[in-house]
Amino acid sequence: MDVLDEVKKALHKVNPGLDDGKIVPGALLKDDLDVDSLDLVEVAMALEDVYSLTLQEDEMDNIKTVGDIVSLIEARLKVKSG
Amino acid sequence: MANRVVITGYGAVTPLGLNIDDTWRNLIAGVSGVDYISLFDTTDYKVRIGAEVKDFNPIDYLDPGTARHTDRFAQFALAASLQAIESAGLKIDESNRYDFGILVGSGVGGLDSLTQQFQNLSTRGPARVSPYVVPMMIADAASAQVSIKTGIRGLNLSLISACATGTDVIGIAYKMVKWGEVKAMVAGGADAAVTPMGLAGFAQAGALSRNSEPKKASRPFDQERDGFVVGEGGAALILESLDYAKARGANILAEVVGYGATSDAYHVTAPLESGEAAAKAIEIALAGIDSDEVGYINAHGTSTPLNDASETRAIKMAFGDRAYKIPVSSIKSMLGHMMGAAGTIEAITCCQVINKGVIPPTINLEYPDPECDLDYVPNAARNADVRLAISNSFGFGGHNSVVAIGRYNGR
Repeated sequence: MDVLDEVKKALHKVNPGLDDGKIVPGALLKDDLDVDSLDLVEVAMALEDVYSLTLQEDEMDNIKTVGDIVSLIEARLKVKSG
Repeated sequence: MANRVVITGYGAVTPLGLNIDDTWRNLIAGVSGVDYISLFDTTDYKVRIGAEVKDFNPIDYLDPGTARHTDRFAQFALAASLQAIESAGLKIDESNRYDFGILVGSGVGGLDSLTQQFQNLSTRGPARVSPYVVPMMIADAASAQVSIKTGIRGLNLSLISACATGTDVIGIAYKMVKWGEVKAMVAGGADAAVTPMGLAGFAQAGALSRNSEPKKASRPFDQERDGFVVGEGGAALILESLDYAKARGANILAEVVGYGATSDAYHVTAPLESGEAAAKAIEIALAGIDSDEVGYINAHGTSTPLNDASETRAIKMAFGDRAYKIPVSSIKSMLGHMMGAAGTIEAITCCQVINKGVIPPTINLEYPDPECDLDYVPNAARNADVRLAISNSFGFGGHNSVVAIGRYNGR
């Protein structure tokens, strides 16, 4: 499963009512998806479990869009494998 | 000057229905809402029965995301409050949202959310605790949801007095409206204690019935009673000043005419045996009222050996020989103990008795107890013309709370 799909899954876990079609890389978490800071902590926890990594709070502070989460995870995975 | 305070709407989610009409129909028919617990595996528990709310879907009242981050007790509170607001025809908008208040209490709050997150903490560490644990477990999560969902921006509080919570919310809301602090108030109680920790905790305290027949387990005032049955649910009423109700053309269902609350100053779980402080609460609730008018008592009647005997003594102390002539019933015989919601559904029952002319029975009253010798309306509903009723609630901690509810006289 690619990273975007895992992010979608994590977002669905936090809010089962989210419209799948709206979860696109450019979607703003707060304004488009109503995902607030507490939701984002849960999303991060779910992704940490999937990828066996630990996301730092300062890394999460700059997250605004779905694409930001995907990029962060991809960057971390690259570090891990490289 | 003090306002007269009237009830203009109510709602409930109970083990006997997801609204007032279904619940009332079952109460009058003497149906038991007690059964084997289905919410979790009770294999290792010494008590396996409870009174669960069946087929409740929080999505009927909340979006799926919020529902997931809201404990079941707060979901019940919200459902009951929204039903109450709708039945009262109360319209909340920009012009009046600061005029209304909310007082929704809970006995144990989000016990299950706390327990589940504690499990995460102990097995997977602090980084796996949900950021929602605090907003899910705090008792005022219920009143918060009511405010968020309705837009009410006036006074918003929660209140905790264990199993008396559901009566105290009405009593305090009554005082707030009476003294003009708010025009109208949502008063409600909710609990969802049919959880592993709730069941284990109350069972260890020796408070729960060990009866293996679920429908027979809650038997208030019966000689064979051996404890209460843990229940769950939510209930709420709309209290408002008579002037405001009249001005907006509301349908007035009943009038709150008194509230009395005392404390045993005795023991954290056992009631004061003499019933003295409970009798005093009844007397305070009826201060300035002719107590001969009381035509129905909705008992706390938990089905524990101690409560039912001391409550009986309290009623006799408060009413003297007339106690034997007043119908007293415990709907916990059917609903189990809805904890923080119990007093609220019981006050609503008083309104229904006054308006419908029928008293719901105390079921499972098969073997009379010499210590409990009042008229408990055994096993079958009874027609009665009731103009004034009281509802008793007592709670761990020694709380004794009583509300007096009268028929609205149209003036």
